[in-house]
Amino acid sequence: MTGIDVTTFASDEETHPVDSPLARSRRSTELTLVVMAALITGAAYTITALGTNAEVPPGIVFFVAILLGLLLCAHVMIRLVARGADGTLLPLAALLHGIGFVMITRLDDELAGLQATWSLIAIGAFVATLLIVQRATDLARYSWLFFFGGAFLLLLPLAPGLGANINGARIWVSLGPINFQPGEFAKIALAIFFASYLATRRELIAASTWKVGPFHLPEPRYIAPIIMAWGFAVVVMVFQRDLGSSLLFFTLFVVMMWVATERLGYLLLGTVLFGAAAYFSWTRFGHVQTRVDIWLDPWEDPLDRGYQIIQSLYGLADGGLTGTGLGRGNPGQVPEAQNDFIFSSIGEEWGLIGASAVLMAFILIVGAGLRTALRTDRTFEKLLAVGLTTIVGIQGFIIIGGVIKVVPLTGITLPFVSYGGSSLVANYVLLALLIRLSDSSARRLGELPDDPTPSERWKAWRLSRRLRREDHKAVA
Amino acid sequence: MNRQIRQLAVGLMACYVVLFVALNYWQVGRKQELDARFDNTRQVLREFNKPRGPIVTADGVVAAVSFPTLPGEPYDYRREYPTSNLLADITGYYTFAFGSTQVERLYGDVLTGSTTEQQVRGLGDLLTGGTSSTGTVELAVRKDAQEAAQFLLGGRTGSITVIEPTTGAIRAMYSNPTYDPNTFVNADFDVAQQAITDLQNAEGNPLLAQAYQERYMPGSTFKVITTGISLEAGIDPTTAFPNEREWVPPQTDDPIQNYNGSLCGGDFPTVFARSCNIPFAKLATLLGPEAMVAGVGAWGIGEELPIDLPRPAASTFGNTENLAQELPLLAIRGFGQSEVQMVPLHMAMVAGTVANGGLMMKPYAVEATYDQAGRVLDRTTPEVWKTPLSPTNAAIETQFMIGVAERGTASCCIGLEGGIPVAAKTGTAQLDDPSNPDLSHAWIIAFAPADDPQYAVSVVLTNVQSTADVAATGGRLAGPLAKGMLDFLLTGPGSQPVSATIPPVTPPPMAPPTPNTPAADG
Repeated sequence: MTGIDVTTFASDEETHPVDSPLARSRRSTELTLVVMAALITGAAYTITALGTNAEVPPGIVFFVAILLGLLLCAHVMIRLVARGADGTLLPLAALLHGIGFVMITRLDDELAGLQATWSLIAIGAFVATLLIVQRATDLARYSWLFFFGGAFLLLLPLAPGLGANINGARIWVSLGPINFQPGEFAKIALAIFFASYLATRRELIAASTWKVGPFHLPEPRYIAPIIMAWGFAVVVMVFQRDLGSSLLFFTLFVVMMWVATERLGYLLLGTVLFGAAAYFSWTRFGHVQTRVDIWLDPWEDPLDRGYQIIQSLYGLADGGLTGTGLGRGNPGQVPEAQNDFIFSSIGEEWGLIGASAVLMAFILIVGAGLRTALRTDRTFEKLLAVGLTTIVGIQGFIIIGGVIKVVPLTGITLPFVSYGGSSLVANYVLLALLIRLSDSSARRLGELPDDPTPSERWKAWRLSRRLRREDHKAVA
Repeated sequence: MNRQIRQLAVGLMACYVVLFVALNYWQVGRKQELDARFDNTRQVLREFNKPRGPIVTADGVVAAVSFPTLPGEPYDYRREYPTSNLLADITGYYTFAFGSTQVERLYGDVLTGSTTEQQVRGLGDLLTGGTSSTGTVELAVRKDAQEAAQFLLGGRTGSITVIEPTTGAIRAMYSNPTYDPNTFVNADFDVAQQAITDLQNAEGNPLLAQAYQERYMPGSTFKVITTGISLEAGIDPTTAFPNEREWVPPQTDDPIQNYNGSLCGGDFPTVFARSCNIPFAKLATLLGPEAMVAGVGAWGIGEELPIDLPRPAASTFGNTENLAQELPLLAIRGFGQSEVQMVPLHMAMVAGTVANGGLMMKPYAVEATYDQAGRVLDRTTPEVWKTPLSPTNAAIETQFMIGVAERGTASCCIGLEGGIPVAAKTGTAQLDDPSNPDLSHAWIIAFAPADDPQYAVSVVLTNVQSTADVAATGGRLAGPLAKGMLDFLLTGPGSQPVSATIPPVTPPPMAPPTPNTPAADG
């Protein structure tokens, strides 16, 4: 790994009080890439406006300035409190966010205004997360809080009066004028809980001392929370009718179990369990059957149930290799183009080339996340990095695969790209956590001094003051 | 755990590779097939959401224009026809689901700016600040002449066509029944479908531009052609025809009569002016089937009119296969009855040919096309289509037609303001409808001034009914309309045409005007 040559002479922090050149170069790389992402977004915004209205958008300078300002704000915050972190995560997210924003503007001006507000809040959440979570390990201390918090959020839409059925899925909570999807935050909370739970009990679970017939299973009390997690996934699938999120939760749990226990059996078991649950719901629930039917042959009902996916495919085909040109296609033909189907809009107007760029951006985010998982030596941080990365990677796969007919379509958002406040904010929080983990691993590897955080300094100061007082007392 | 993480990385990577492969499958592999599917509206829609330039009349009135719609409407632009039904026959309509017609159809690529030339010019303009590449189509048709035609017809079914004999430019071409494209072009699918279906089923098919897409029995106006063929065949223009009531053609016992069974005869100019039938039946029989068929072919009968609008009709001389064995039919066709059918525009061209020294010009409705900056893309150059007459014979036939106006069947009704000499030929095509024997088409073709022809006009009133008091003859019914048209253009308000000096600049203004009001008069 990249850190190896550094670790050989960085065993003692005291001998290297300054950042290694490698760690410092990450920040300048990040700055360059962030500016590039902003410029790409600005250029795309301009070209799209030219394509739709044949005029340069009047507020383009203002737009790029705000965009650059927001991203630089995030970048400066990383420099201040996470300067050892991977330099590609923020620019990649910014690029996806920018492409998504351009497409949303192109599809619906009104939503673009809302999305701009949400972008502001998301960057705020990103900064706040970096500031609050200064030590990744702190999260592990509140693992049960995250468990119950996550479970609460997940089940919140089922509460009568609060939950709202939108487009057939009961995953929304309405509080006055604000609608949000608590599930977006629940997945992060549950990932934190799982990382923490598995980090402390992974040997016990892996030991499999409980014999049931020919199977060696872990002690029931150790796997109980995992069974509960599976239960959550089933609840989400059955009661909230949200196949995508259900699949996402389940994949998350199974992958984390597998990585933590190093036992392939869990991966297989998880697949079998989910397959069973999916088959059961396929036989019992009309909406699942519908999803599968239109996946198998959307042209069976081209004007109703298959309409959305068919229009998506027509859009992609119309785009072809190079796309219809920004602002020159008709992505509005696809219902919900700004949410679940934003990827087909990109494929239509930006072509195979632009859509592939989006795929690559996701692969690179996954790569950066898993590299963090490999570099860190703390189990909790390793598992959390795995969990968070899996969320982004799998969520992207499920929804992109859905709109291009690789897997049955399930309504979830494309991280950073789709319209949606909850999704955007949650994904920026997730990004901040990944950056925190990445910074933490760099500090552990000695690429930069592991300075105490402000809160640690505060505690240290209070501790020293108390000790001094006790000394005084003792002397007195 | 690192081994599992690496495997996870490989797994997630594989997922995205699958996505990439699938993307290639849809966007490249099956592109052609999906693009071609019948229910795939992407390409049409892209076309439909392009800005579209205006269609402007020769006197600078906007006949069709696009406005950007408010956000939330299904299409980016709405097409409006400020002259409502006045120019529908020329502009046609432009709809999303039901295609387009006339100029909207034939000049669609110019209007949207998709011709190669416009694309290349548009590239340069993008750099210099220009934005849209839509084109403008300028019609040869004049709005004021069109209005005069509409006014003169006054709701009666039929058509009035005015061309310039020397160029073939169509200055007016109006027919009833017609339609207002505004009623359905921007409507919802169902509403539009209903409106178009209703129009298609309506009597007289309003969607058709009858003046050039329909043909009618020409009656005696056809004698201009029979006379032309005879003169070209060397028949003496002073030939005398006996005064007779009936004549039995070969191969039959059934006699041919003149109009109303009257006694009719005299020299060639006189029988032409009085529109006797028997002399022309005799001429057709004398010339024989071969010469007649070749002769009408020289006048363009049997061919689609070479107009710059889609789907023109072709005039017909009827079935000519066994004409040698059916000389009575040939005789009857010699004066424009039986199976002969002429397109109204073609009849205007026939008058124009006599006026133009025997040269039949190609008719055109579009004067020029312009790019977004008002530069000319293409300007129609007048072309000769047929040469059925020698200049000498054209001059002789002009005298024949002057005779019709001065002392013949049109003398009642076509004397022009200011004594401008006019040449004409009337026609009353008896439809021989057994249930309604008095039903006929009333025709007149004319050109003026006869000594320096500027306009040739054809008027047809279809399915007119003779009453006990008034015979529905071409001279009496159609004559005043031709007079009105020629007066309007030669001495009336239309004699000082406002020409569109500046090629119209690309719209669109931001707000649509009140519907059905001319957007830019003058």
